[in-house]
Amino acid sequence: MLAIINKELRNYFASATGYIFMSFFLLISGIFFSITNLFEQNPVYNNVLSSITFIFLFVVPMLTMRLIAEETRQKTDQLLLTSPLKVSEIVLGKYFAALLLFLLTLFITVLYPVILSFHGKIAVGEIVGGYIGFFLLGAAFISVGLFISSLTDNQVVSAVVTVITLLVLWIMEGIIMGLPTDRKSSIVFMAILVIAIAALFYNSTKNIFISAAIVIIGAIIMVAVYLINPALYDGVIVRIFQWFSLLERYQSFSYGIFDVSSVVYFITFSCAFIFLTIQTIEKRRWS
Amino acid sequence: MIEVINLTKQYGQHKAIDNISFTVEKGEILGFLGPNGAGKSTTMNIITGYISATEGTVKVDGYDILEQPEEVKKRIGYLPELPPLYMEMTVEEYLKFVCHIKKVKPQKQKEVLGKVMNAVKITDMRKRLIKNLSKGYRQRVGLAQAMIGEPQVLILDEPTVGLDPKQIIEIRNVIKSLGKDHTIILSSHILSEVSAVCDRVLIINKGKIVAIDTPENLAKRLSQSNKMLLRIKASKDKALNIVKGVKSVKTAEITGSREPNTIDIVVEGKEGLDIREDLFYAFKSTDYPILMMKSLDLTLEEIFLQVTTQEQAIDHESISISEENDAQHEETDGQQREDGEDVSNN
Repeated sequence: MLAIINKELRNYFASATGYIFMSFFLLISGIFFSITNLFEQNPVYNNVLSSITFIFLFVVPMLTMRLIAEETRQKTDQLLLTSPLKVSEIVLGKYFAALLLFLLTLFITVLYPVILSFHGKIAVGEIVGGYIGFFLLGAAFISVGLFISSLTDNQVVSAVVTVITLLVLWIMEGIIMGLPTDRKSSIVFMAILVIAIAALFYNSTKNIFISAAIVIIGAIIMVAVYLINPALYDGVIVRIFQWFSLLERYQSFSYGIFDVSSVVYFITFSCAFIFLTIQTIEKRRWS
Repeated sequence: MIEVINLTKQYGQHKAIDNISFTVEKGEILGFLGPNGAGKSTTMNIITGYISATEGTVKVDGYDILEQPEEVKKRIGYLPELPPLYMEMTVEEYLKFVCHIKKVKPQKQKEVLGKVMNAVKITDMRKRLIKNLSKGYRQRVGLAQAMIGEPQVLILDEPTVGLDPKQIIEIRNVIKSLGKDHTIILSSHILSEVSAVCDRVLIINKGKIVAIDTPENLAKRLSQSNKMLLRIKASKDKALNIVKGVKSVKTAEITGSREPNTIDIVVEGKEGLDIREDLFYAFKSTDYPILMMKSLDLTLEEIFLQVTTQEQAIDHESISISEENDAQHEETDGQQREDGEDVSNN
C-alpha cells in the first residue's frame, strides 16, 4: 500500500496537478482569510473554513479524476491487479495519497490562525474542531470522486461526473426542502427503491429467484410496517436524502460543536464509497 | 507447474474461450498460436488473475488462482500485450515501483534491478523517461518488469511484437535463456519464433484448442513427408517414365513447368520408405539432371493455416491434404522460408 501512496503522491507532483491543486486551494483560502479576518478585523477563523467549502467542487475532481480512470485507460491496472497486492490495498493507497495531499495543503493554512493569534486571543479548540470537520468533509468528497473515477476510463468524464455529483450533494438541503413528506409518496418511493435494488441484483447476478425474493420480502416488510406503525412512513424520503446531506453535518463543526456522531457519519460515508470502488473493480474483472 | 482445467470465459452470448484444458511442466516453454481474437490474451489474463473465468480453474504450483490469488501472483511475472508502463516515470523509478509492489526485500532491490536491466540490456536507459523510449525499449522495460520478484512462471503476451528483426533475435535469446530456470508461456504471431523458442506449441482458434504438440511432431503429423517435388531437365514423358520405374515410388504426377525445358513432378513414396536415394540413382545414369529435389514438409505457417481454417480438420484432429492445395503450398512455401531466413540471419 505504501508503494501505491508513494507513486500517486509522486505523480501529483510529476504532473502539474499537485501544484495547481495546492496553489488554487491556498489562493482561495488566502483571499477569504484576508477579507473575512484581516480586513474586517474579525477573530472568528471558522467563518473562513465554512465559506471556502465550495472549492471542493473544483479541487476534488482535480485530485481524483485520474486515480483509477487513467490506470484503466493505460492498462497499467494489469500490472497492479496481477501483482501480489490486494484490490483493497490499491484503492486505499490511492485514497490515502489524495487525502495526504489534501492534508498537507490544509496544514499550510494553519498559518492563518497563527497569524491571528499574534493579534489577540483565538479560540483554539473551536478552530481545531473546525479543521477536523473540514478535513472529514473533504475526505468524504474525495471518496466520492475516487468511486466515480473507477466507473470510467476517461478522465474528463470522471471529472465532469464528479463535479455534478458533488453539486447535487451540495444543494441537497435545498432538494430536501422540496421533497414530499406525506405517507402515500413515501410508500411509493420505498416500493420503487425495493424494485430498483432487486433489478440491480438481477442485473449483476442474473438470478431471478433471489431477485424475486427481494421484492417479496421487501413487500412483506413494507406491509408489516404499515400495519404496525404507519407513522414510520412519514418523511421517509427526506430522511433518506438527509443521509447524503454532508454540508449539514459539517455545519455543527464550524459552530465549534465537536459531534462524535458526525465524525462517525463522515468516516462511514467514506468507507462506503471506498467499498463501492473496490466492488466496482472486482466486478469488472468478473464480467 | 501450470494446470488449466476446463477453462471457459463467456462475454454475454459470446464464448471467448471454450472449455480449454492443458498443463505446462516445470521448465517448459509453451507457445500460444492463434489468429486475432482466438482467446490467447484472454487465457493469459485468466492465468495471471487479471480477469476471472466463467468456469474452470487454473492452478499454478498447486495453488488455485481463486482460492489463493496472492500465492499464485507471487509466482507469476506477466508481460501483457501492451506493456503496463507509467509514462511519466523513468525506467529506474518504474522498476523500483514494481519491486515495491512485488514485495522485493529493500536490501535486495539494487541487485535485482541490476540483474533484470542487464538481462534485457536497458541499463543505459535507466535515467530516461519511459515516454521518451522507443517501442522496442518499452517492450524490454515491460519484460524486465515481468522478471522482477523471481517468478517461477513467466507469461509473455506477444513479447516481440513491434520490434525490429535485430531486437526480435535479442529478445528471443533472452527468453531462451530465461527458459532454463523459468516456466514460460508465450503467445506470438510469428510462427518461426514459436518453433525456434518453444518446447511445445498450443494452437488455439475460436476459443478452442486445435492442436497441442511439439513443433516437430506437429509438422510430422500434418506433413506429407513422403512427398517430394522434383524438377528435372527432361521432357514430360521421359521424366515420368523414369520416375515411375523406381520401385519405392507409389504415385507420380506432373504439376507443370516453371523453367524452360524442365518439368515439375510431385512424387509420393511408399509408406516408410525414403525415396530420395532411389530417385537419385534412377536419374544418375540418364542425361536428365535433377535440378531440384524438395521435401513437401509443411512449415509451421502452413500447419497453422490448415488447422485454423479447416473446420473438418478441427473436428477430426487429423488432416488430409487435398491435392489441390499442393500447388498453393509450393508457391507460398519458398517465399515463407526465405522470410524466415531473413529474420534469423540478422
